[in-house]
Amino acid sequence: MSRVLLVGSPNSGKSLLFNRLTGLSHKVANFPGITVDVSSGPIRALRELELVDFPGTYSLQPISGEERVAVEQFESALRDANVGQVVCLIDATRLEKSLYLTLQVIRECQRHGKPVTVLANMIDVLDKHGMTLDAEGLAQSLQAPVLPVSARSGKGVDTAIAQLRANHDRRESAPREQFIDTPDELLRGTAHQLARRYGPRGDVLVQSQTALDTFFLHSVTGGFAFLLIMYLLFQSIFTWAAPAMDAVEALLGWSAGLIVPLLGNDLARDFTTDALFGGIGAFLVFVPQIFVLTFVIGLLEDSGYMARAALICHKPLRLFGLTGKSFIPMLSGVACAIPGIYAARAIDSPRKRLLTYMAIPLMPCSARLPVYTLLIAAFIPSGTALGGLVGWQGLAMFGIYFFGMLCGLLVTGLVSRTSPDHYTDLPFVLELPPYRLPGLLPILRNSWNRSKHFVTKAGKIIFTVTVVIWVLGYFPNFGADLGASWLGQLGRLIEPLFTPIGLDWRYGVAIFTSFLAREVFVGTLGTIFGIEGADENVVPLVDHIQASGLAIGSGLALLVFFAIALQCVSTLAILARESASRSFTLKLAFGYFALAYAAALLVYQLAGLFS
Amino acid sequence: MDTLWNLRAGEVCEIVGYDDALAEPYRVRLMEFGFHAGEAVTCLHAPAFGAPKVYRVSDTVYSLDDEVAAHVRVRRNV
Repeated sequence: MSRVLLVGSPNSGKSLLFNRLTGLSHKVANFPGITVDVSSGPIRALRELELVDFPGTYSLQPISGEERVAVEQFESALRDANVGQVVCLIDATRLEKSLYLTLQVIRECQRHGKPVTVLANMIDVLDKHGMTLDAEGLAQSLQAPVLPVSARSGKGVDTAIAQLRANHDRRESAPREQFIDTPDELLRGTAHQLARRYGPRGDVLVQSQTALDTFFLHSVTGGFAFLLIMYLLFQSIFTWAAPAMDAVEALLGWSAGLIVPLLGNDLARDFTTDALFGGIGAFLVFVPQIFVLTFVIGLLEDSGYMARAALICHKPLRLFGLTGKSFIPMLSGVACAIPGIYAARAIDSPRKRLLTYMAIPLMPCSARLPVYTLLIAAFIPSGTALGGLVGWQGLAMFGIYFFGMLCGLLVTGLVSRTSPDHYTDLPFVLELPPYRLPGLLPILRNSWNRSKHFVTKAGKIIFTVTVVIWVLGYFPNFGADLGASWLGQLGRLIEPLFTPIGLDWRYGVAIFTSFLAREVFVGTLGTIFGIEGADENVVPLVDHIQASGLAIGSGLALLVFFAIALQCVSTLAILARESASRSFTLKLAFGYFALAYAAALLVYQLAGLFS
Repeated sequence: MDTLWNLRAGEVCEIVGYDDALAEPYRVRLMEFGFHAGEAVTCLHAPAFGAPKVYRVSDTVYSLDDEVAAHVRVRRNV
């Protein structure tokens, strides 16, 4: 199958065009070493041609390591004999920005003898405002066909397909050499001149964009709009995804209810219920959150608001080595680190993205809540102060949430100052795209892909770890006594590690199992103390913990430990995938464990001074 | 010498060049976006609290923070 490369600058409507041409029939692959997706799929009207959608780029002159990989992949594809032609998509409403890349692409294609078709997208927007593009004149200057299209309405797409067919049938393009030796500096000047000569006249588009920006970037109205939108985003993760998450759990419970009674012995039943369905549930339950968050973020990106949100948040986050685009991933991390890590894909600077990855696991995710609730109920008095205005337990909950966020910012601030690495950084030069109605289909497609990616890539790891921990906790006494299981023995083995913070093997085991998910800490302690349903009602467990004589210093140390430690296999699995670095992920996991342990030890020792 | 960062909302300037403190890759990216010598730039918005400012160059709108904009030398009132 002959391949057609689709290239273009960010925000030129490439995804929309790709979907229109392929009809969403596509597959997604990751370039090694980077996190950008490359989609490909047969063109519906030309099944013999496969369209390959390359990541959006501003030029073929990379300024970061990640851009370099993407450009090298493009240049490598040009040398591929199966690549028959290239489609370069430009934004007809902002011609100069697109033309520099177009000229570079044409030059590279001339060097490799590949025909280029330039598609001038958003022609419907120009039509709407009575503006025109001199496509013929531009085509003559570029020595390549320039076809006005609208990826959104479909206008001109048939003509574009006819051009692709003609290029394919012709097999060999007439050699063109106009730009073959032209350096980038001259191409920049040429892009400027061509945009002036052939581009649309007037600035009605910029004016309408500026009017909306006056509202959305205003210090009062913009701030209010920002808070409202972020509130809705946060709600979407918690509230909108919750029914689907409940449905996943109910479906798994129902399936287990059907299958388990058919099994012959206790071992098979226990394995199926706890390891098999428990393992599947451990990752499937996250899918609704990932889907909903990706969808909402897609709406924000496609509408043009995301860039404005990044602008609003940039200044305070820059103090900690982050960028405005880090805000949404970090906010998402307050619900769950996994969708937050996925959301960090929107950060174009590899360095800032890595720093954001470091901050996200320290955001106080919802899985920590049951642990905090248990420990605060056990160790913080329930009294109030200031005439009932301030409750100590509520204050402690706020304090531990704030502590987590502060740790995340301090870590990134420290790392960004001690490891200067400008090669993977990008300047804060953010294009503010025009506001527009989002295209729902590409966003749904992306949300589906992201969910599928999570299930197929991270799901296997999460499932395997779940089964391993189940085996450790079940044998050799077939689940009769967790304390006597291999897991219990392991807990006693690692007990010396936790003795300095006043914890015995039971807490060691609970910390170990919380690697599955932090809230498992509560359930495990409940099992060890022989309490049914401790994860749903913590009161009996609180009584047992208080009766066990655990020191308040140990309780506070545990709180601090859970605020920092990266105790979640799902987060680690997806972090390794998204960062494309197991080394980074392992360092982060061990680093945060060491930091959490040191902080817990400090708290325990300090508490000892006051008790 | 005035810089892009000194502009207030509504002010127009012409780019004169870049100062040496701006890293080469950043300079390249700015020029790709159309911020080259002789180009007219309008400051569209200057949000409060030192947030990045919004500039129009040619037919496109960009936001630049002070780390970048303070290194772009400009001449006002073109």
